[in-house]
Amino acid sequence: MAGVNDDGATGDDETADDDGTAGDDGIAGESDATRPPAAASVALDGVGKTYAADGDGDPVRALDDVSFSVADGEFVCLVGPSGCGKTTLFRVVAGLTEATDGRVLLDGTEVTAPTTDMGVVFQEYHLFPWLTVEENVGFGLERSDRPAAECDRRVDEMLDLVGLAEFRDAYPKSLSGGMKQRVAIARALAVDPDLLLMDEPFGAVDAQTREMLQRELLDVWASTGKTVLFVTHDVAEAVTLADRIVVMAAEPGRVREVVDVDVERPRERGDAAFAEYVGRVRELIGAHP
Amino acid sequence: MATETGPGVGGDGGVASVGLGDRRRLRRGAAGVAAFLLVWHAVSLTQDPFVLPSPIAVGEAFAGELASGDMTAALSQSVRHWIPGTVVGTGLGVAAGVAFAWSRLLDDLTAPLVRTLRPVPPLALIGFAIAWFGINDAGAAFIIAVGAFWINFYAAYGAVEGVSEDLLDVGRTLGVRGDLDAVRSIVLPASMPGIMTGIRTGLGRCWMLVVASEIFGVPGVGREIIRASNNLRVDRSIAYILVLSLMFLLVDVAFRAVERRVLAWRA
Repeated sequence: MAGVNDDGATGDDETADDDGTAGDDGIAGESDATRPPAAASVALDGVGKTYAADGDGDPVRALDDVSFSVADGEFVCLVGPSGCGKTTLFRVVAGLTEATDGRVLLDGTEVTAPTTDMGVVFQEYHLFPWLTVEENVGFGLERSDRPAAECDRRVDEMLDLVGLAEFRDAYPKSLSGGMKQRVAIARALAVDPDLLLMDEPFGAVDAQTREMLQRELLDVWASTGKTVLFVTHDVAEAVTLADRIVVMAAEPGRVREVVDVDVERPRERGDAAFAEYVGRVRELIGAHP
Repeated sequence: MATETGPGVGGDGGVASVGLGDRRRLRRGAAGVAAFLLVWHAVSLTQDPFVLPSPIAVGEAFAGELASGDMTAALSQSVRHWIPGTVVGTGLGVAAGVAFAWSRLLDDLTAPLVRTLRPVPPLALIGFAIAWFGINDAGAAFIIAVGAFWINFYAAYGAVEGVSEDLLDVGRTLGVRGDLDAVRSIVLPASMPGIMTGIRTGLGRCWMLVVASEIFGVPGVGREIIRASNNLRVDRSIAYILVLSLMFLLVDVAFRAVERRVLAWRA
């Protein structure tokens, strides 16, 4: 893609502003190369989270010793029963919630605050309703120090990528759920992050739209080579998308097993291998088939 | 930056065409006014003019005051109270509301003060208006500003409190850093609907406060209303009340047009 070369040089600078630790050092070193990697590795190292008790209750252990890693360019799904701390883990990785123990490393640099090296997509889209589609996608770019012309070009690219070019002047209110999530994905990808982090992004749309968005996401993944960490409660979705599936157990939230999905893409839900993986993961979760 | 371009993009929603439903509404409104005037006139025939003058007498008083130039003089004096009072009170109210709702520290520091001062009606501050500013335009503007301040303070405060944490989270993942950036790029635009409602309420309230602000002798429309009714010239009093109503209507219609443009994204 056209954007890749420039982005390595300009994309990793915004984080330094207020957190002294900054994602800069680790990534800047690598982006000096002529072809900087567009993807990053993520490592979770003994991540734990305990919520202080409110009132007389006991403290709640939401996550306990969660360790796994995602390689450069890998697509990893995180599944688990409700209450297994998926969303807490998502927030910890995003730097939005502080872990009580352990740490999250993005390309070797500890994540202590949100960073633009990570593109984050939430279940409820959370588009800025006062901005048009185009302005939403350009929100992060505006705060990077890219020249205006490059920002415009990048917004165009992103809108093309998610097929929403003709809706660029529309406000979010007039969009369907699927379109909103496409805008959110474009907005997250616009600043060319190393990692795409998604929390049940297709949970709020109908089944048909969900399958379409899954295919589109795989296309985006294939064309951008991003590392993706994708949280979902939908086992079939995880088997459709992931290279590997991290299966979590609840109370406290912890890793039960990591499953390699060894099926060629595109994957068909009717395939025997597909069904086998779904059955296996469901069994691990303890969910009803 | 984005907030500035927003209204321009959605400008098409600004001018509402007069549809069939609107015309029916207008017709019914006109009929309602006509019926009201008829009843008023009928009742006024049975009353002394200092109790209830006929609508015709009020019309004549209105025309007379307008022709003599007294009405426009009083109005221009009141406008000199209304504009600075409204502008200053609205500006400070919105600024304080946003700041106190956003900053826990400011909120904690000011909460007892705010709760003490809030119930004080602007009218009760006339003594301070006279002592601090004198019986003049500034004193009257002060009373109006106090009224505008509280309405806008609470509207902005509530609006900012209601801003979704999720939007702030999204902003942080997209590079929003620091309080100023967050307030400018997320908090203000997200709370704009609530702030605009406050401003609109305040604009109307300030026309009401014109009367209170001139009660201690500053000339203007409010002063004329009080003087006329003290002299049992109820027709003149009503004529000047109508001036306030007309000004309110004018400002309200204009502000609604502005609001539609600023909040085009909600349409």
